[in-house]
Amino acid sequence: MLGQTQDFAPTSSPRPRESPLALGVRRILRGRSSRIALFVLGIIVLVGALAPLIAPYNPSAQPDIVALKDLPPSLAHPFGTDPYSRDVLSRVIYGARLSLMIGILATLVSLTLGVAYGAIAGYAGGLLDAFMMRVLDALLSIPRLLLLIGVLVAWPRLSIGALVLFLGFTGWFGLSRIVRGQVLALKHAEFVTAARALGASRRRILLRHLLPNLVSPIVVAATLGVAHVIVLEAGLSYLGIGVPQPQASWGNIIQDGADQVATLWWMSLFPGLLMVLTVMTLNVLGEALRDSYERRS
Amino acid sequence: MTAPLLSIRDLHTSFYTESGVARAVDGVSFDIGAGETVGIVGESGCGKSVTALSILRLIQPPGRIEAGSRIEFEGKDLVTLGDEEIRDIRGNRISMIFQEPMSALNPVFTVGDQVAEVARVHAGMSRKDAWARAVEMLALTGIPDADTRARQYPHQLSGGMRQRVLIAMALMMTPALVIADEPTTALDVTIQAQILDLLLGLQKKIGTSILMITHDLGVIAETTSRVIVMYAGEIVEQADVDELFAKPHHPYTEGLMHSMPHIGHDQERLNVIPGTVPAPTDWPKGCRFRDRCPYSWDLCEQEHPPLYQVGVDHVSRCHLAIEPERRNHPHAPLVVEEGVAAA
Amino acid sequence: MNDSQPLLSIRNLKKEFPIKKGVFARQVGAVKAVNDVSFDVARGETLGIVGESGCGKTTTGRAILRLIEPTSGEIRFEGRDVRSMGTSELRALRREMQIIFQDPVSSLNPRMTVGAIIREGLTIHKLAEGSAADARVRQLLQEVGLRPEYANRYPHEFSGGQRQRIGIARALSVEPKFIVCDEPVSALDVSVQAQVINLLGDLQRDRDLTYMFIAHDLSVVEHIADRVAVMYLGKIVELATGDDLYREPLMPYTQALLSAVPVADPHARKERIILQGDVPSPANPPSGCVFHPRCHHPAKDAACAKIVPPLEEKAPGHFVACIKQTPTVITWEEQKQAGGVHPPERYLPLAAVHA
Repeated sequence: MLGQTQDFAPTSSPRPRESPLALGVRRILRGRSSRIALFVLGIIVLVGALAPLIAPYNPSAQPDIVALKDLPPSLAHPFGTDPYSRDVLSRVIYGARLSLMIGILATLVSLTLGVAYGAIAGYAGGLLDAFMMRVLDALLSIPRLLLLIGVLVAWPRLSIGALVLFLGFTGWFGLSRIVRGQVLALKHAEFVTAARALGASRRRILLRHLLPNLVSPIVVAATLGVAHVIVLEAGLSYLGIGVPQPQASWGNIIQDGADQVATLWWMSLFPGLLMVLTVMTLNVLGEALRDSYERRS
Repeated sequence: MTAPLLSIRDLHTSFYTESGVARAVDGVSFDIGAGETVGIVGESGCGKSVTALSILRLIQPPGRIEAGSRIEFEGKDLVTLGDEEIRDIRGNRISMIFQEPMSALNPVFTVGDQVAEVARVHAGMSRKDAWARAVEMLALTGIPDADTRARQYPHQLSGGMRQRVLIAMALMMTPALVIADEPTTALDVTIQAQILDLLLGLQKKIGTSILMITHDLGVIAETTSRVIVMYAGEIVEQADVDELFAKPHHPYTEGLMHSMPHIGHDQERLNVIPGTVPAPTDWPKGCRFRDRCPYSWDLCEQEHPPLYQVGVDHVSRCHLAIEPERRNHPHAPLVVEEGVAAA
Repeated sequence: MNDSQPLLSIRNLKKEFPIKKGVFARQVGAVKAVNDVSFDVARGETLGIVGESGCGKTTTGRAILRLIEPTSGEIRFEGRDVRSMGTSELRALRREMQIIFQDPVSSLNPRMTVGAIIREGLTIHKLAEGSAADARVRQLLQEVGLRPEYANRYPHEFSGGQRQRIGIARALSVEPKFIVCDEPVSALDVSVQAQVINLLGDLQRDRDLTYMFIAHDLSVVEHIADRVAVMYLGKIVELATGDDLYREPLMPYTQALLSAVPVADPHARKERIILQGDVPSPANPPSGCVFHPRCHHPAKDAACAKIVPPLEEKAPGHFVACIKQTPTVITWEEQKQAGGVHPPERYLPLAAVHA
């Protein structure tokens, strides 16, 4: 921009570090909805993390499949029991743990793949970039859910680890495009030219200059990605091809009560509610993060 | 003495931001006469652009013009005017030329359309008539083949041409006042010369007043008859252009003039105004230039200086007006150039 | 002070950017951003390069450092051929040739602390590590007039002028001999410009630096440069000492340029030379002398549109590219054959001369 930049002195007294990250976090926390979302999400995460300590019963225990099955919510079982007489509250709590874990791990896989792919394509440019992008276009044209269903139906009885990997392998396409776009723009930033002028190697530029400036879109994608995976996993488990029984995930619980949705309403309501809450808070935070980083750039 | 065309009294424009209230324009009063060219000079952050935008009520939230400000123009107070009435004035009686012609023009309409639109909106002209007048104005601003050029889009024109388009737009309704906010800063120096020449020529022809806002003292010297120097949201000096350059009173004006390299004047080191402008959210008490001034003394910290009369039609916001002998005893400014031992 | 061999020697430098059109991106033309540029820079001097937008001065600066790869031409630094250097040789050269950028905002990585920014050069070239590096960073900060505590802060906390100082400290960290200053003060306020200009002058003295100072502001260049080259559409059209250039500009473009600079003196009676038309696009430069369509030289004629003027010495140390300014090697016979009707004559309008 031609013209004069403002020339104000920074305050001379020592202050807390004003890293762009700290600033970003502070800015987000200013919004009321973000604070509420963070609070609610925090509780859910805490519940999941402390599952073994909080859950009133063993989530897989089937104490009395005759007398205690299909009980509506009561004091002893606040979320009721399922057809196998398992306590739904405990299952929902363990479900939180599992679903969140799957969401986070799968997203980590996606992040790694997406960032690597996008950064290499963007930085290399030219023919390699063009080729990689065409491959990506092809991959993007396949609907994720159908792809997952196709794969998981062909391989039933998958371990959770394999599930996480498949979820991760199918979730990086969009992010890599965003990353590539950012890298393309950053490649020509003057501070990158400055680093080249200092003699920085391509590796150094990628790792020390480009990647740190990609944090914002990555964090946004990660937050929204976790939400997306949670919904996917729930859907797959509901279809019976996700998390294998008897492990508790939100989708599983809904699936257990699927035959008698109307009578066993607590089996759909509670896990469903938790899921909606989790996904909503993640989305609110993700959007807030995106707004904050878009406003800055 | 005829009544001034535009009369600003006590203009306060503030921005309510997360980091506090920035009093960008903090009590500015001045007049512009008919046919006059008045210049406002100052560096970034002094409030000159905000002043210009305030005149046409172009300040958006979180900024606002504070109550008590008055801008009198053709018998009306622009500050309290209704939305429709102020729109009536913009582009019609008072128009504005901006610094960056590319962002001031809409990229999806031809330049002819954009210039013609002014006449269609304000004079209710028909498409045909407005187009004809637009081409006429474009030719008047020195654009060759105006008819062909009018059919082009902004990105097809050079920076200098775009600025001419903006000038044509500004003059379509022969306004009484044209506000030019750094109209040549983004242009090459040879084009700048053309544009300034054009502005002055057109002014003579049409008789509009011009408020020229710039940071370039050279542009001020060449185009204006009266100069206002702004610093930290206030007017710190005002005088006729000859008087200002011959006898600058305020130490900031002085410092500014001496820190510019002049062609033909050999200087070993440029004179420097050490330190930086204070933040607008926190104007210091007393004189705002005190820390950077080589003449300041304790009065400057205690009392915010008013505008003293220091010559014919020459005012200066500096206590040196009442103790002029202090000018003979300059000292090291209170703020030392960052980290460097006093040179 | 000066060795007999120039520190930097540029011969016939060219940089073209292809213009591609169509689905298959065929090359249909080229933007000749730098079009056969030659000059020397002596050790310890400041060579100013001025010109308006599109003249190629920034591209020249970056091409010399091979931040942009030249299309052709020779670059010699201390006699060594820069263009033929391999990766590691070039990296070593980066210690000796550095650059300062125009935009204080985009030239600093917003996610690195000031200290990290300045330390990077030391790390890359293994000049210092750990606490030694930290000490060096603090020293450099002080040298450019900033407080050493600022090393822990981030660029956005600083003003434009201070950011430029940080950029200067970064360039100095590797102890260069030669620095390309690419419009280092254009984006700064006038009073801050003065601070940075003074700083650059002090540093040159203290460290025996050689500068190539690129700018569009003629007054700034006159102040700081020993010799000045004027560029127009990718070519050097005039090259002379600062004094000679500003007192006796022989190239008509320089004459117009100087007369266009607004003078901060309401009494300066200036008979302006107002150039007609716009700066042409470097994708489609005029034939012959690139300036001829806008030239005001009284002897301008058809020969100017045909003959590309060589940059020749018209006075000691004063080089001009104009076949109509005497003396010239392009004989009157040659000019007539190209359609010339006015013999060359020395023309120096009063308006262009600054007393």
